[in-house]
Amino acid sequence: MDLDKLRKTAAEVVSRDDVKYLIGWRPGSYGYRVAPGFVEEASAAETLIFSPLCTINLATYLTLTEKLPLPRGSAPDQRKVALMVKGCDSRAVLQLLVEKGIRRDQVLLIGCPCPGVVDTALLSLKYPETESPADLKWNGDHFLLRQDGQETAIPRLSVLAEKCRLCRYPNPVISDITLGEPVEAQLTAEDSAVAEVEAMELGARAAYWEEWFSRCLRCYACRNSCPLCYCRDCVLDRLNPTWVNRAVNFSENTAFHVARAFHLVGRCIECGECERVCPANIPLGRLNRKLAREVREQYGHEPGIDPDGKPFQAGFKPDDPEEFIL
Amino acid sequence: MSAMLLNKQKWTEFTGILSGKKVLAPVACGDRFRYAVPAEGKAFSLDFDRPLVPPKSAVFPQTETLYRFQLGKTELAAPQPGEELILLGVRPCDARAIKLVEKLFRWDVDDPYYLRRRELTTVVGLACLEPGLNCFCPSLGGGPASTEGLDLLMVDLGDSYYLEPLTDKGRSLMDLASGLLEEAGEEGLQKKEEAVRRAEEKIRRTVDTDGVPEILPDLWEHPLWQKTAAGCLGCGTCTYLCPTCHCFDIQDEIEGFEARRCRMWDSCMFEEYTLHTSGHNPRPTRRERTRNRINHKYSYFVRKFNVIACVGCGRCVNYCPVNIDLIETLREVKEAQ
Repeated sequence: MDLDKLRKTAAEVVSRDDVKYLIGWRPGSYGYRVAPGFVEEASAAETLIFSPLCTINLATYLTLTEKLPLPRGSAPDQRKVALMVKGCDSRAVLQLLVEKGIRRDQVLLIGCPCPGVVDTALLSLKYPETESPADLKWNGDHFLLRQDGQETAIPRLSVLAEKCRLCRYPNPVISDITLGEPVEAQLTAEDSAVAEVEAMELGARAAYWEEWFSRCLRCYACRNSCPLCYCRDCVLDRLNPTWVNRAVNFSENTAFHVARAFHLVGRCIECGECERVCPANIPLGRLNRKLAREVREQYGHEPGIDPDGKPFQAGFKPDDPEEFIL
Repeated sequence: MSAMLLNKQKWTEFTGILSGKKVLAPVACGDRFRYAVPAEGKAFSLDFDRPLVPPKSAVFPQTETLYRFQLGKTELAAPQPGEELILLGVRPCDARAIKLVEKLFRWDVDDPYYLRRRELTTVVGLACLEPGLNCFCPSLGGGPASTEGLDLLMVDLGDSYYLEPLTDKGRSLMDLASGLLEEAGEEGLQKKEEAVRRAEEKIRRTVDTDGVPEILPDLWEHPLWQKTAAGCLGCGTCTYLCPTCHCFDIQDEIEGFEARRCRMWDSCMFEEYTLHTSGHNPRPTRRERTRNRINHKYSYFVRKFNVIACVGCGRCVNYCPVNIDLIETLREVKEAQ
């Protein structure tokens, strides 16, 4: 990706009268960290980057922005939010549009074809982070890491994020401006992580999830980072009635995770944010990808692909399979 | 008893001596460590980095039953913690934090739950000889071998552990194992000091806290809070992993006619934190909530207890999914002055 072009485009976009601000990626405060960059002035576009470290799905911020009560007599700011999106991120935006969570005229999408991002935790385990921000580049079947003046070539597959191994949509499915050339979709790997859980005996599978869910801290990072968890009034925050108790234990934690997984059936676009942000390392991706695959195979539905499609749970066909009904 | 050495070959024997007591030690869960009861009969090691959840959870559990009651009846049954506990492998920053949190639980009323647990707990520290990338404990008056809040400090000297008793609890624990220990002597002390000095040199990140508690009230409406909050997801990672965060909520949980009143960790990052019954929320957006997190640690707590409620463990920096970096925020606070 040509960074100059990216920054020039971003500067042009934020200078437009109909754009409020742009959300992109900027280098973080140290090591492999990348932070969301909120660009309001053209000059600040200089800080933007696009690299294999840009894992954050910025689509989350579209619905996360708080609307404060307006002073009397003032009109709401109707200008667009410009957003940089990878392939998976663009699917989240499209799904939001299909669900009418946002309006098309509220966003301006800058599409970034993405050859796959790294699993930052894995990367820092294999190549320890240092206090100065590092630079990582795509280079064929390698990543080029530049850190403290040293350059290291890292085999792509050794640190590639799991979701990217399985990615079928590396190019934005919707965008207003596309930067760079489309990326050729790689041969997607078998979802061995899901297969591993599926192969377990029922008892072992229950024990597997019990162990993970027991470790949940209920920090709700998975929910809050999810671009498609945007209910204004989340069932989990309700106290009257209390659907899920605040007590942190296996039973309540399971109620939380099962509720979340089911709310994402036919909606999850597999960006992997829930798993990436989980401080307890709970393999939430396995849960969501399993459900996504069931919907894909049973109903032929894939969320975040068809702009004219209906939300999965709002549709019904007389010949829908119903083998799961006991 | 003075400082002693425990040969690492006797480590299994040492853990055997503790086997009659409840021990919490860092146990590997995937690539992260947690304080847990080590598996029965299994030897465990002290080779770990910084556990994910701070050991404050042993004395201030994430969910704690205050009392049980039955609908329609007036008797309350309040469980009392009664089991002695040995917390093994506590990082000095986390031990300091337990001491800081104690200030709150001793403040207007003595909190019986916390204080009873604290009384029953022996905190055995392990000096940090390989500090993490985001450790900045010296900036807050701590250090890789700080002894505040510890009953016993252990320092890894390669083939042995250096054991320094700090309280009566620590001494009685060492008495139990006296058969396994040998005098550390002058040589042991020197080795320990050398190891700690090298560890101190490895700490890279620093924070200049000078004047921060005084500056913060003047920055109430400063744009830096909006900037910090823009990227914040509003999750509880920073607060739940913080060894000094101590906000809690109290809820009644009812099942049929049985009910219990519990206290559970709360987080100022959550939308319902300080949400009033009326629907009004004095901290309606993430701007107020991120501002509260810094102010509570670096201003309110200082005004009340004369000490900053941060120990520089770096967890919030490490685990924030969107790189909101406390060290950066504090730098911005200083610059905004």
